[in-house]
Amino acid sequence: MLVLALALAGAIRADTLPARADAARDAPPPEVAVHRQPALPVVALRLSLLADDPPGYAGAGHLFQHLLLPSLQEQVRRVGGRVSIARSADALVYTVTGPAAELDYLAGVLRSALRAPVAGTGEMLQALYLVGEERSAEREIAPQFMRAALRSRLFPDQISAAGTDAGARRLEVAKLDAVWAAMYRPDRVSVLAVGDVQADAVRRAFATLPDAEAQPAEALEDSLPAYGGVPPEATRGWVGAAWPADSAAPAALSVAARLLGDDLRRRLPGAQVSAEHWWTHEGQALAVVMAAPARQLPAARAAAGDALDSLAAGLDSAAVVKAAAGLRRDMLFSSRTPEKMAELLGGFADRAGDRGAADAFYAELDRVDAPQVRAVLELLARAAPVRVDVPPQRLRPSP
Amino acid sequence: MTRASLLRLAGYLGIALAVFGSPAAAQDRIVVRTEPGTPVVSQELLLAVGPADEPELQAGIASLTARAVTSPLRATLDSLGAHLEVQVQHDALAFTLTAAPEVWEDASRALLTALFRDPADTAAVARERARIRGELEAAEANPAAVAAAQTDSVLYGAGHPWARPAAGLSATVATLTPADVDVFLRKNFTPDRVTIAVVGPVDPVEAKGFLIGRLNAAALEAPAPPETHPGDGPVRREFGSITAWVTASYRFGRDADVEALRLLALVVADRFEFGPTSRALYDARGEVVRRPGGGEVRFTLVVPPGEVDAWAERLRAAVAAVADAPLPASAFADRVRRFRGERLLALDSPEARARALARELLLSGSRTGEPVPTDRPTAERLQAAAKSLQGPVMVYLGPSVNAGT
Repeated sequence: MLVLALALAGAIRADTLPARADAARDAPPPEVAVHRQPALPVVALRLSLLADDPPGYAGAGHLFQHLLLPSLQEQVRRVGGRVSIARSADALVYTVTGPAAELDYLAGVLRSALRAPVAGTGEMLQALYLVGEERSAEREIAPQFMRAALRSRLFPDQISAAGTDAGARRLEVAKLDAVWAAMYRPDRVSVLAVGDVQADAVRRAFATLPDAEAQPAEALEDSLPAYGGVPPEATRGWVGAAWPADSAAPAALSVAARLLGDDLRRRLPGAQVSAEHWWTHEGQALAVVMAAPARQLPAARAAAGDALDSLAAGLDSAAVVKAAAGLRRDMLFSSRTPEKMAELLGGFADRAGDRGAADAFYAELDRVDAPQVRAVLELLARAAPVRVDVPPQRLRPSP
Repeated sequence: MTRASLLRLAGYLGIALAVFGSPAAAQDRIVVRTEPGTPVVSQELLLAVGPADEPELQAGIASLTARAVTSPLRATLDSLGAHLEVQVQHDALAFTLTAAPEVWEDASRALLTALFRDPADTAAVARERARIRGELEAAEANPAAVAAAQTDSVLYGAGHPWARPAAGLSATVATLTPADVDVFLRKNFTPDRVTIAVVGPVDPVEAKGFLIGRLNAAALEAPAPPETHPGDGPVRREFGSITAWVTASYRFGRDADVEALRLLALVVADRFEFGPTSRALYDARGEVVRRPGGGEVRFTLVVPPGEVDAWAERLRAAVAAVADAPLPASAFADRVRRFRGERLLALDSPEARARALARELLLSGSRTGEPVPTDRPTAERLQAAAKSLQGPVMVYLGPSVNAGT
């Protein structure tokens, strides 16, 4: 029944290889885990580097990813493969997917992403532009703004992956190899392979990693972005609320978020509702982001205010079981390709530092009950929520 | 196979034999691919119903019926965490169902009941009719969709049911009533038209037994595809777009080397990538479309208005060049390497594999359970495949396309 759990228990743990030092290499090999999925001769290789951006160079990690991406895409295309980049709060992530027979080639492509990029002016301007667009979206587009604003208040020390304007200006003229040296440590690299490959073959393919080749850049002061001032223009009003929940049981918090979303959608049928469990190495939170037409905005604000009480009042065991089952099925559905499976397993592992974290969470969902969810709601109710509100744009007829 | 599953299968077969006499026919229309490491089960159900079953004035009723009968199912499927997609093809309606292993039979049972037992819901018909009309009106104003429809029209010839868009026309859909849908449903949505592929961590005996028990009818003899009458010469159609479309459709027969033709589509489309000689080309695509009795390799170029004739000639020349001489060894090796990867990655989800297997079963009767052929095309096979093509049927669509005549 629990295919994911069984598969993880059988494959991840058995094939997880401890990092081994080898004096003959520049750097020790990374931790390698393999999830065998023999349905098709395809492999997804996910390489993650646990790293914060160096102080003073906010956005550096994601900029490096954009600098490297065109070259990675061109290389992977030769074997009919795909490449994706992601900058999470925990790690820089590169994933390549292609034929299992091209394992060594694909691994070589990924290893090349661990060297400081050599960028000409054109490449640097293009990458800065793309990261800058992501930064602008967090100010100008309502859904991104809501989340960025809530996050900045919940986790004040966490800077967005897209960085800051000041960081971008420094990076434009910085020595990239020095900035990279301040981020890159081979012992923080891990590799997860999902597909029709053997652990030994993956270990051989990643036997050596490049070493950092420059003196790390000097730490500088970061300027934290402020999400006050002029809010983005939106045709609907937006209401956001988030509660810190560091000590909550993660599975119960996920179930609570799902139930909260269902409850708010029932109460606000004309609104767009998203209830999310935010979970990084910085901490956990439950966040609600809603968009509603102007006439429904007062009701949406009120609902955000009493959301926890309303859910607690109507909480029952059957709903909890159903929500937990729904989350487990969502996990299975979202991991049905090697690439997505690698994303799911790797995301949990990066956050928890434990290759079995996804499996444990999946199993834990099965044990969540109403008292646990009630305990989470009580914990949230004791915390001070953060609120963000964006009124709808007022359109005036032209004179 | 376990003793329990054998007994269960014997039970299913016994019931089916006793009641309907010929369960083997149903079994021949089911293929199951067991994948222990796949976390979900995908089921592709093809119902061989399409424009050939529709009166011309009711074009689109197959699509509307499919969506109207599955629309009320959404709440049930949501509660099971199952996902359903409905697609309309010229020769079949495709229902793709993906669910967790412990609920896929419940989801499949609900889908089969909706298709073959439940009457059409009046409100669902009205709702889906409005949605489909909106989608068709958008497509009828979209030059890419219009170019594709125009190519179908020329390829199959006036009056051929496949010359019409598979999803119908906004004007005919607007006139369809719940009573029309009910009549069409009763006449055409029958288990004898079904082909199914199941992919995932399932016991093949149990999965087949489950489905045989619900498709308890002999297979309908596959109807011969209507005769086609392709038009001659390039067809030019004025359209108020900024860019122009050139499509070239090369036909192939039942015994074609389809894998080599897929490679041909990639090789030819590659020649039109953006570069020093293709700076004015906006898009280039090649695809193989299989239909009962054969199919076509269709190329589409998006080019500046006023250049359609030149690009059409380059396209014809590119296909002819592959037919005239084999590619140099290194260039061929590069293309095959990439082709193989793209073919595999196109099948990296269980629903994609289920789709491929169900199509193959519908078109060729193959039940190998392998979505990708294991043999690699050779340079000689590529050349022979290019030589075997008939046509092309050319369509030019855009502003001022008649200026080049």
